[in-house]
Amino acid sequence: QRVLLLVASDVDALCACKILQALFQCDHVQYTLVPVSGWQELETAFLEHKDQFKYFILINCGANVDLLEILQPEEDTFFFVCDSHRPINVVNVYNDTQIKLLVKQDDELNVPAYDDIFRDDEDEEEDSENESDGSEPSEKRRRFEEDVIERTMKRRQRREWEARRREILFDYEQYEYHGTSSAMVMFDLAWIMSKDLNDMLWWAIVGLTDQWIQDKITQMKYVTDIGILQRHVSRHNHRNEDEENSLSIDCVRIAFEYDLRLALYQHWSLYESLCNTSYTSASFKLWSVQGQKRLQEFLADMGLPLKQVKQKFNSMDMSLKENLREMIEESANKFGMKDLRVQTFSIHFGFKNKFSASDIVYATASLMENVEKEGPETTNFIKALDSLSRGNLDKLHHGLDLAKKQLRAIQQTVASCICTNLVISQGPFLYCSLMEGTPDVKLFSKPVSLCLLSKYLLKSFVCSTKNKRCKLLPLVMAAPMVVEQGTVIMVGIPPETESSDKKNFFGRAFEKAADSTNSRTLHNHFDMSIIELKTEDRSKFLDALISLLS
Amino acid sequence: PSERMRKFKNKGKDAAALRRQRVEVNIELRKAKKDEQILKRRSISFSLRDESLSPGEDKRNEIIQLSLEEILEAVNGSNPELQLQATQATRRMLSRQKDPPINQIIELGIIPRLVEFLCYADNAPLQFEAAWALTNIASGTSDHTKAVVEGGAVPAFISLLSSPHMHISEQSVWALGNIAGDGPLYRDALINCNVIPPLLALVVLPLPHSLLQRGPFTCLLFQVGFLRNITWTLSNLCRNKNPYPPLDAVKKMLPVLICLLKHEDKDIISDSCWAVSYLTDGSNDRIQIVVDTGILPRLVELMASPELIIMTPALRAIGNVVTGTDEQTQAAIDAGVFTVLPCLLRHAKPTIQKEAAWTLSNIAAGPCRQIQQLITCGLLPPLVELLDKGDFKAQKEAVWAVANFTTGGTVEQVVELVQSGVLKPLLNLLLAKDSKTILVILDTISNLFLAAEKLGETERLCLLVEELGGLEKIEALQTHDNNMVYRAALNIIEKYFSGE
Repeated sequence: QRVLLLVASDVDALCACKILQALFQCDHVQYTLVPVSGWQELETAFLEHKDQFKYFILINCGANVDLLEILQPEEDTFFFVCDSHRPINVVNVYNDTQIKLLVKQDDELNVPAYDDIFRDDEDEEEDSENESDGSEPSEKRRRFEEDVIERTMKRRQRREWEARRREILFDYEQYEYHGTSSAMVMFDLAWIMSKDLNDMLWWAIVGLTDQWIQDKITQMKYVTDIGILQRHVSRHNHRNEDEENSLSIDCVRIAFEYDLRLALYQHWSLYESLCNTSYTSASFKLWSVQGQKRLQEFLADMGLPLKQVKQKFNSMDMSLKENLREMIEESANKFGMKDLRVQTFSIHFGFKNKFSASDIVYATASLMENVEKEGPETTNFIKALDSLSRGNLDKLHHGLDLAKKQLRAIQQTVASCICTNLVISQGPFLYCSLMEGTPDVKLFSKPVSLCLLSKYLLKSFVCSTKNKRCKLLPLVMAAPMVVEQGTVIMVGIPPETESSDKKNFFGRAFEKAADSTNSRTLHNHFDMSIIELKTEDRSKFLDALISLLS
Repeated sequence: PSERMRKFKNKGKDAAALRRQRVEVNIELRKAKKDEQILKRRSISFSLRDESLSPGEDKRNEIIQLSLEEILEAVNGSNPELQLQATQATRRMLSRQKDPPINQIIELGIIPRLVEFLCYADNAPLQFEAAWALTNIASGTSDHTKAVVEGGAVPAFISLLSSPHMHISEQSVWALGNIAGDGPLYRDALINCNVIPPLLALVVLPLPHSLLQRGPFTCLLFQVGFLRNITWTLSNLCRNKNPYPPLDAVKKMLPVLICLLKHEDKDIISDSCWAVSYLTDGSNDRIQIVVDTGILPRLVELMASPELIIMTPALRAIGNVVTGTDEQTQAAIDAGVFTVLPCLLRHAKPTIQKEAAWTLSNIAAGPCRQIQQLITCGLLPPLVELLDKGDFKAQKEAVWAVANFTTGGTVEQVVELVQSGVLKPLLNLLLAKDSKTILVILDTISNLFLAAEKLGETERLCLLVEELGGLEKIEALQTHDNNMVYRAALNIIEKYFSGE
């Protein structure tokens, strides 16, 4: 039986897909891969393929809506859903025939109890069936004990139950968040089947790192999952460590590292990376003159010559690189940056190839949202997917170049937004809208790039503002989407606090605001907190959102 | 009707009568299914009730619990307090969900005494309890109902219709409904006791509101509930044939039923619609009485209701009307039946498809000017769709519609029918297991050939039938077990396909 693979366009999904493809290859399973970037594409893909396929695998899409409701599949169609979107739709959870969820056992789903949300109320149903089936009235009827009162009581009980159900579902569905990375779930599957390979492990690492870079999971969850992967890494790579020098050049080695939280620094110059990493740039407040001065002081404190710092990292003096991490960390501590060191993994292969997990995430994500259009819609997806294979170094390097452009563009946009006071407090949330004509604005018509920009902007804004209340607010950001159609893309992100649970309430809020104003919105993205909106409807939509959240 | 009968008689079968019979069989089936459902519902609600019984309620039930001997003694005694207690205990037993002891109560011989209590105008609680108890006895089998009637309850209940107490009046309506529902015999007995004028007065006159000892929330419900009960009882007074209810009784009830059809409560509309469907299920003079009220446009409107409980009886009533004369059928057409039928032919529910097709088949049996209206109003596409993809029972009715069309339609109209694509699904149905249907189809094919001959297009029709795989199927039917099918198939082959 051939299966259809529907894969969302985020890096974690791609990694999960790579693992699954490798497993399929092992087992000689035939499959067709269809990338889907939103609900519309998912529906279209399903409709196009439902006659030829009985088995559908959904990666990073499908868990958070009632699939049977939106797709109306035949009864002999089955869905295997591996999706980190939470909360999982309750119907998907409790359907044990057509929907199979791939979820890690220790993921806390907090699903409401079955009896609290579903009711097999045959009595009621039959009542209404009898009422509505159009059969002839009965010839004789007995009057039962306290007929009216009893029925009223039942109706009242039902109403109470329904009110409670609504409350339970509201609580359950109000926040969007993410569970364990799909790549990790898929790797677990491979491991359980004893088919896990080092490459698969690497993809699992990249999947997790994507969640961390996109700020989808809490710091706690990240560290826990890193720990889990670390055990797999030592299991797979321990032999290599002893005989490091005897390795052949195609051999892959994955290593756990405490690395610097500096984006792409090994493929850039240290200076560029310091300037374009949101953590450092926000801490220094690089958009200001004082910030620039602080950066200079920081470099001086480290005792690194500016010339060395500004040249390609690869070409830096070996002597300087030896203790570099320690030196940077020490100075960073003095400048109030206590979290510059992060736990991560790196991969070595071939003669000189070394990449950090975050390098791969930035590169792949940039390939996926490459706005220099060439070829059909799926080109970006295929390129991004390919870049994850070790054999496609050229694609990976192309991705790294795009990623650098993207990070620079983000940094410049953040700086200009802060300097021109484009972030406005709307009361319950901060709001920032990019104008048509802003440099690089096209880049931010894509969801992942816009999210990344929003997160960097919020982080920088929190560092720049003196208003304590504003520091605790979430952010809504809008950017032009398709100019000819007059649409904007809008995203809402949770507040930037240290203890943030990364739960996002904008998905539901957007839906309600759109409903109450009849705004022409498109809730097409798998993340409910990303929507498309007609530009003319924006102000009434925002007004509704403000009054909803106030 | 004579004209139409002749048409069918010419073909050697009394089709109209046959159709009527089929409808009755279906009603029987529906009734059986309904009873089954009620039984099932009772047992379920019983188990639910048991669970939800609070200790307090239990206690209350215990206090009232009396043995049959104690009941007998108290009922026959002269203490009003004990009479009420015993009657209430009886009523409680009879209204429990599971196994009401109807037979034991009858054998106890207290029915005449309960009927006597109905007349105690100064003791309303006792009247009410007795009325409820007797209602529930009458809700049982025919023997149970008989016991109540022979206990003399009919005149007592009829006089209680005018009781100043609304709940007693309502209970009497309910009891009389059960008696009327037993069959034509008791229905007419009630009518002869003049049940109709006081019953109708309840609808027309404002209801008394006093002495209703219930919570505020039941009060409004109760009013609608009362009217529902009256409507249901009226529908039982219109129900059943052999014989039909007396004409003058029908004429009295009809204006009120017409009023009730305009009510907004869907149960009231439904039951009054059923009443009208019973009244139209008869000879043409009975149909005429309903047509004369001018209610057909409202019935057609109700046919388009999204509520199945309204759509079903409205469609039934209109379906009955078009079994009547050409003029009566024309009245239904003028009321707009063709605007609603396409939707109903495409309805998701097979029973609706079937009834709609049955209705259409009877209109198609009319004169060619009505057939022309059928074409003009766009009924052919939904008919062909139904023939192709409908439920089998509905397909059978659709086959009848096509058959009647080819019998009464002009050559031009028949050409139009063929052009609408009727041939393919029709020929496909030759694979049906039902010989009657096959025979009707073969007759229809012969009719089509007759029309083709008139146009000199026999050759083309032959080719068309062959292309659509029809010839193969007709040939196969020559080995059919049914002799008539075999001969009809052979006849077509010999007449039109033997040249090759």
